[in-house]
Parts: sequence; structure tokens; C-alpha cells
Amino acid sequence: MFRSKLFTPDYRYTANFVDSWSIDEIVLLDITRPEKRNPELFYTVVSAFSRKCFVPVCVGGGVRSLDDFKRYLDLGADKIAIGTMAIQQPEMISQAASRFGSQCVVVSIDAKRDGESYRVFYNCGRDVTSWQPEDLARRVEDLGAGEILLTSIDRDGSLEGYDNELNSIVSRDVTIPVIVCGGAGKWQDFVDGFTIGGADAVATTNVYHFTETSIKNAKQFLHQKSINVRL
Amino acid sequence: MLIVVDYGLGNMRSICGALEHIGIDYLCTSDRSVINDASSLILPGVGAFPDGMENLRKLGLVDVLDRLVLSQGVPVLGICLGFQLMAKVGYEFKEEAGLGWIDARVIKLETTSERIRIPHVGWNDCVHTKNSPLFSGIHEEALFYFTHSYHMECFDQRDVSVISFHGQQFTAAVQKSNIFGTQFHPEKSQLYGLSLLRNFCTIAKELC
Repeated sequence: MFRSKLFTPDYRYTANFVDSWSIDEIVLLDITRPEKRNPELFYTVVSAFSRKCFVPVCVGGGVRSLDDFKRYLDLGADKIAIGTMAIQQPEMISQAASRFGSQCVVVSIDAKRDGESYRVFYNCGRDVTSWQPEDLARRVEDLGAGEILLTSIDRDGSLEGYDNELNSIVSRDVTIPVIVCGGAGKWQDFVDGFTIGGADAVATTNVYHFTETSIKNAKQFLHQKSINVRL
Repeated sequence: MLIVVDYGLGNMRSICGALEHIGIDYLCTSDRSVINDASSLILPGVGAFPDGMENLRKLGLVDVLDRLVLSQGVPVLGICLGFQLMAKVGYEFKEEAGLGWIDARVIKLETTSERIRIPHVGWNDCVHTKNSPLFSGIHEEALFYFTHSYHMECFDQRDVSVISFHGQQFTAAVQKSNIFGTQFHPEKSQLYGLSLLRNFCTIAKELC
């Protein structure tokens, strides 16, 4: 496949290959800015994915209430990622965890380097908080979050590798699983995410757009580097 | 008819999608009078133990399920929370009586290692401790998808059919005559998971 300006990524293409590519889990995030959001369209995507993919599906984007949780779960999501809600209404984490179980509540933390430390951003990366990511991670763990999806805003889309300083700061401070995201460009980046970043799972988007056998090759590579993965 | 019991917790669409994919006729309902006529049952569910029991009680399903499973011997497959609810008692947030079909209690996973994270999320190996028709034709090294913080501790080891490890040993699947249960999600475990669901439907047909 060649990417050209005419190529528009289409979720239906990806959904067809989840089983044969041996994908372990899918994260679907509606990253459309709130004013441009078309929830109905995104519901269609979630529903299409969950119908065809017999692996866990984590869904996020625009979740602000327990009703939003319920809606996504009814569409077939297995877990729900929350970002802005975790910052603005942290008490909802506990409510969601007690109603749907901790394993259902994934807190998405978007962080950006700020001098010697990191700072958490929300609202599609537009608003800055006073939180440092490791503090927020500990807080949401205490509130009952089941997993953390940690994205480096600086590295996202860069293909330069994960920000493993950020990853290790957060993963050593919590006992719940941390999924790292943002920056993977080559197979070694996945290995580093586990070994240096302390990640429990590595997520990626861009690097897979290029070839048919990407995921199998990536997992074979991880296996050779003694990372315990499902082949 | 195979009934998928919808008690308002969790991903009905996932399990129903999987059943449709393998071509099984089923009905997904919370209606007591429909469930009453079930020839086999799937009790799915994602969520907290006390909420699960409360919902079953509110829907008036506890006595119906008890009669079907215990008196009539209708085959039942519990998945994740649905599996845990089959225990005598659960300790998630508070002590709560379960359906009590399996002599077991549901307690939190414990870990002593920093590298072992709770909840246990991801694909894990299974060790078969007895032959169960649920796993017929499924490769012994097949991995299944787990996501849970609590686990079922069985008091009668004869009920345990599969164990797994995550910081500690835990029950991954049980079988006690017509009662089957898996801690993992077969509907989220790709091809082997679909095989397991197909096996359950075959068993259900044979038993009826």
C-alpha cells in the first residue's frame, strides 16, 4: 500500500484485519474537537468494530457521564477511556468503577514536557492542568481506575520512539497497568517501551499503516527480545 | 433456546456478536418469563459483584436461575462477573451473597511483586487440571483474554478445570456437572474463544 494524498484512512479497512494480524486489543478514540464532534458517526464506528473484532475494544472521546459509559458499553465497548472527565469530575471515576468495575475504567493521561518535569493536558491537548502525570496517575488509581493510557503529546505522530522517561516516571508510581502511546516508529521502540518505559502494553497507530504483516513481525521481534507476547 | 441473560451489566453486544458470528440461535433478554423456558444459559457480565447480584434480584431472576440450573440441570456458562456470581460469596467492596452454585468465594487478587499489576489485564496461559468438554479441540497452549481484579477461590478442587497464574494461582475455569464458567472472556479471545463458545453450545444440545 502506498500512501498518497488521496489515501484516507478508513476504519472499515483496519477492522477487516484484526483477527489475521493478531492484534491483542483495540483502542478507539474520538479525537474530534468537541465543537466538531459527530457522535452518531463515531457510534457507528464503535459498533462496527465491536461486532467484527473478537478482541477487547477500549473506547473514548467525549465521555462526560455514566450514561456515556453505558452508551459505549451497549455499543460493544469493553472498557471506556476518559480524559477530560478524569480532570474535571474525578469523583466519577469511583462511581464508574463501582458500577462497571475498575477494569472498565481507563484513564487517558496526555502529558507534555515542561522543563525538568511533565504537565498533564486535557480537552484534546488544548488546556493545561496543574497536575504532573505521576501525581494524577496515583490519584486516579486511588479513585478506582483500572488502567492508564499514557500519551506523550510531544512524541505523538513523530515516529521517534516513546517518551520512556515519562513512561517510567508514571509506571513506577502506580500498581495498575500502564499502556504507553505516542511515538513508536520501529520495532525496537516497542521493546524499549517495555524494558525502559516499564509499560504493560504498547499502543501504536502510525507504524501499522504501512504494511500487511506489521503486527505479526513486530510481535515476533518482541518475542526474540524476550518480551512475553501472544504471537 | 439458548438465553443470554441481560442483567444490565456489561457487554451484551460482545457475546451476542460472537454467537452470531458462529451461527448460534440465541435470545438476549432480562425477561423472567422468557428466561423461564431456557434450554441453556449464558450469564455474561462485566462489573462489580454486589451490583450484579442486586440487578439479578431486582429483575426477579435469582429463583428462576436457581431452578433452571440446580433442579432442571440446564447447562449454564458464566463469563467473568457472570462466572464469579456463581460462587457462594463475594468480597468486592463488601461481603455479598452470590448465587451459590459453586462452593467458592470471590476475593481480590493479591500480589507481592511490583511487576505484577492488578487488575490482571491481558492474554494469559491456562493450565488444564481436568478434562472439560468446554475445551475440546482447543490447543493446550491457547491463550485467553482476562480482565479482572477478583478471582474465584474454590473450596472443592474437583470443580476447577483450568487454572492460571498472575502473581498467584487462580481459577480460570470451572465445571461442576451442568455448570460451566470462565474467568476469561471467550468472546474476546479470538478463534480459541469462539471454539469454546461453540463447544458450550454443542454440550448444551447433547445435555438437553
